[in-house]
Amino acid sequence: MNLRLHIWRQSGPDAQGMLKTYDVQNVSEHMSFLEMLDVLNEDLLTKGEIPVAFDHDCREGICGTCGMVINGRPHGPLVRTTACQLHMRTFKDGDEIYIEPWRARAFPVMRDLIVDRGSFDRIIQKGGFVSVNTGNAQDGNAIPISKKDADRAMDAAACIGCGACVAACPNSSAMLFTAAKVGHLGSLPQGQTERSTRAMNMVLQMDAEGFGACTNHYECEAACPKGISAEFIAQMNKDFVASAFGGRD
Amino acid sequence: MALNSNIPDGPIQQKWDKHRAELKLVNPANKRKYNVIVVGTGLAGASAAATLAELGYNVSAFTYHDSARRAHSIAAQGGINAAKNYQNDGDSVWRLFYDTIKGGDFRARESNVYRLAQVSTSIIDQCVAQGVPFAREYGGYLSNRSFGGAQVSRTFYARGQTGQQLLIGAYQALQRQVGLGKVKLHNKQEMMDLIVVDGRARGIVTRDMVTGKVQSHMADAVVLATGGYGNVFYLSTNAMACNVTATYRAHKRGAFFANPCYTQIHPTCIPQSGDYQSKLTLMSESLRNDGRIWVPKQKGDTRSPDQIPETERDYYLERKYPSFGNLSPRDIASRAAKEVCDEGRGVGPGGLGVYLDFSDAIRRLGEKTIADRYGNLFEMYERITGENPYKVPMRIYPAVHYTMGGLWVDYNLMSNVPGLFVLGEANFSDHGANRLGASALMQGLADGYFVIPYTIGGYFANGGLQAVGNDSQEARTAVQESEQKIAALLALNGKRSPTSFHRELGKIMWDKCGMARNEQGLKEALKRIPELREEFWQNVKIPGSGAELNQSLELGLRVADFLEFAELMCFDALQRNESCGGHFREEYQTEDGEAKRNDDEYCYAAAWEYNGVGATPTLHKEDLSFDNVKLATRSYK
Amino acid sequence: MKAFGEIWRSNIFQKWLMALTGLLLVGFLLGHLSGNLLVFLGKEDINSYAHGLRTMGHGMVIWIVRLGLLSMFVLHVTAAITLSRRNRAARPQSYAKVTPRKSTVASRTMLYSGLLLLSYVLYHLAHFTWGAVHAGNYAGQIGWEYTLADGTLVPDVYRMVVASFQVPLIAVLYVLSMVMVGLHLNHAIASAFQTMGVTNQRLVPLIRRIGPALSFIVAAGFSAVPLAILAGVVK
Repeated sequence: MNLRLHIWRQSGPDAQGMLKTYDVQNVSEHMSFLEMLDVLNEDLLTKGEIPVAFDHDCREGICGTCGMVINGRPHGPLVRTTACQLHMRTFKDGDEIYIEPWRARAFPVMRDLIVDRGSFDRIIQKGGFVSVNTGNAQDGNAIPISKKDADRAMDAAACIGCGACVAACPNSSAMLFTAAKVGHLGSLPQGQTERSTRAMNMVLQMDAEGFGACTNHYECEAACPKGISAEFIAQMNKDFVASAFGGRD
Repeated sequence: MALNSNIPDGPIQQKWDKHRAELKLVNPANKRKYNVIVVGTGLAGASAAATLAELGYNVSAFTYHDSARRAHSIAAQGGINAAKNYQNDGDSVWRLFYDTIKGGDFRARESNVYRLAQVSTSIIDQCVAQGVPFAREYGGYLSNRSFGGAQVSRTFYARGQTGQQLLIGAYQALQRQVGLGKVKLHNKQEMMDLIVVDGRARGIVTRDMVTGKVQSHMADAVVLATGGYGNVFYLSTNAMACNVTATYRAHKRGAFFANPCYTQIHPTCIPQSGDYQSKLTLMSESLRNDGRIWVPKQKGDTRSPDQIPETERDYYLERKYPSFGNLSPRDIASRAAKEVCDEGRGVGPGGLGVYLDFSDAIRRLGEKTIADRYGNLFEMYERITGENPYKVPMRIYPAVHYTMGGLWVDYNLMSNVPGLFVLGEANFSDHGANRLGASALMQGLADGYFVIPYTIGGYFANGGLQAVGNDSQEARTAVQESEQKIAALLALNGKRSPTSFHRELGKIMWDKCGMARNEQGLKEALKRIPELREEFWQNVKIPGSGAELNQSLELGLRVADFLEFAELMCFDALQRNESCGGHFREEYQTEDGEAKRNDDEYCYAAAWEYNGVGATPTLHKEDLSFDNVKLATRSYK
Repeated sequence: MKAFGEIWRSNIFQKWLMALTGLLLVGFLLGHLSGNLLVFLGKEDINSYAHGLRTMGHGMVIWIVRLGLLSMFVLHVTAAITLSRRNRAARPQSYAKVTPRKSTVASRTMLYSGLLLLSYVLYHLAHFTWGAVHAGNYAGQIGWEYTLADGTLVPDVYRMVVASFQVPLIAVLYVLSMVMVGLHLNHAIASAFQTMGVTNQRLVPLIRRIGPALSFIVAAGFSAVPLAILAGVVK
């Protein structure tokens, strides 16, 4: 199939960017979306042009490195699918495809489709952990954890930190990302001792990074490649307010 | 130079305890005076950096990713082994040790493997305490599954995302230390070189992948946890960025590279679909618990799988290895797949595939149970191939997955360059010639959480470290050399892309040094690799400059190292005139096609010393002695 | 421990304030609606109800309620403006193409529907409470007294309402505003429970259905009065 791509090109963090149009020919339906970009890049390179910079690594949908907004949807049209797992059979001959980077003040563009997601790490640094030094642990079976709780924790822990939730949110809010971590650890007995401070500190850091507020559009859960539920956002709201009124953070 | 593996004496059960008791300690107040560089933030690197910081050392951690949560440890699906014996099915430290030695085809160091089995249980405890959501039974206790190469259920898992969950656990521990100011984390930095001063590893050179700045970082010890080199084959299950550069540059600075030819080919990957293919995707080996592997008995049978009656199917693993069947170790299962495809019985495009069929399991357990166990894997398969594995058998084919070889290390995980520690897949230590499923996660975390925190203290406590700064001659020279290399590459302005060279190198390696090797092929490879390397250094094209985010340059630098390293692999494969584990030499096989080891001549680890680009490296042998497990022919029949 | 100011300024706390005040305002609306519907019972009922409101607790209650409503409004509106500004700032560069999946017209236009409602409320107060607009229909004017069954003279609210909504322009304006209320509440009610942290899995699906239903009831109930008057059903 032949496609027309409109790709955001920006040579550096402070440079002015713009959409540029590229035509690609003979795209196989079995290619992944990123392989289609690889082919475009090989072509650009041999023609002496600078290839399109985009983030990617595992290409198995688990590392969370890749991410681009494809036709107005983070990671493209399929649900629960990262850009690297999107295959060209989803498109048809003659399609026009818009490819843009995640758009958020807290995710500055580094080049073309690559953004800096360091803000996510800084949110985790404020409490996205259980403070247990190596060697402290008791036997893994010492605290039984109901299958339900373990499953719920896993549902939240499945987050790959790709940032699609922020990209999809009309407010560039990082609530789903932050809530996934608060929800993961809050669902487990190990996470209880720091539950109150965790919600408080992570939420305030999220604000400080310049992410927007949640207005409950649920675009995030629809865009999440791991299908993490916005219910965890409600949970985090509750934890945060409880912490605020508890006054013991 | 004689290799000293520094194995403590005494009975194997007591070596680690004894060693820990004898290791000198660094006073808690003095720990903050030591700076440690950790390169790589996968399971081994992140766990090491976090733990060393918890102890009080000043840690600088480096990753080429944009975040410390992205390393390819994250892609491990199936699980992590530990000798907990929660299932009461006869597991023990000894059995895990024995299985690992045997699985590694008797080419691993006994003492290291025993320690690995010992600390495996603490890993599970530590990860549970961190909040890793391991699968649980209804009663609330940890759940286990069985895995290839073992007859007990000792594998802990978190859905099909065990590697991810363990890495996130280590990442969180690391981020906690970053928040506390004990770890300085450097994202988007690629290691370009190792700085050796007075014979000790004292720093690294990095390139900032955003600004292009090349600079040195000095410390009292350098820990490499930079993963494996499977991408030398271009197509592998490794992530796109996985590369050999860090370990290879350390090799060029004097660290010995051990057993580079030991390559694990994973039996259950999704077959290649076209030339544009950028990587291969692994389907967890756990699928072999319930899936049955078969091909048609007839050559060139093109009927769709549901049209082939039971009697005309060859469940070849169950036939050849009745006691392990579909759960045979990876090397055996991979080679068996290659064999049936070479016979012309392969399925799918190009005949490079075998069926992994779940219809029996679905009939027996119901679609819901299968979906619970493998739902996300089935989804992934369908996304990639467009076929529904609940209805049509999966097609799988072996692919390069893991590299057992790596920098040579002693019992303390220190290389022959003092102060250079190597952890995880980057070292050669624990898996011998073949790694068992669910053991990579175990080794990475064992090294990072429970070994290096002790042994690095011993190194520091022995003293002798002088202050060395960024202005030292060695640091400045190393920075200059890296800058020159980058400038040289950019100046070529040839015609071919780095990817095209990488792809061509991969093809040579897969054909000549892949699942099966022979003398003639390896010699051919040794002839073609230098030619390709020469062309690379004349004709590669890298647009843009070095002072910006330049992905072509990143790839170019990595491919340049693969083009040198590939030769080392072939040298190693050529000298090892036997078949063992992930190294199968066609000249050395039994009558029924099984690997034939030569314990009399090759019961050693081959550690190579660098002598210059293109020059034949020098072989150093570490003889392996098996005092606790009797050398035997591996049999899974 | 974090200072209260920092918590107060946080996005989630501001959202929580919006949700709380919003839900209280919805409660007020339901009360208001049930009062309005007395129009259908006749002059006596609505006028005695209106009189009751004004005189309850020696006329104190209505002021307490008004004060409460005012502060809820102020909190709700200032939070909305603060958060909207932050949300805009969070995405300095917009997308060339956006394809929403789950957001609705209601959810995406909350700020606009809210601001229109604010101007509507001012108009509504100027109309029925202050008599500043459409003064010719104001119930408080001389000669519009109504005698309740117990003989008390009270302003004829019934007459004011009927006279106003017999003017098509006023009736249409009110009905359109009620559509706007419906749109706002369509997203607001369920959203408020989410923000307040309701995670009960039995309740959440219920709330997500009740929210839009309730918004329809409120909009339809309020619109019924002007529509009935305009149609001549209530005279």
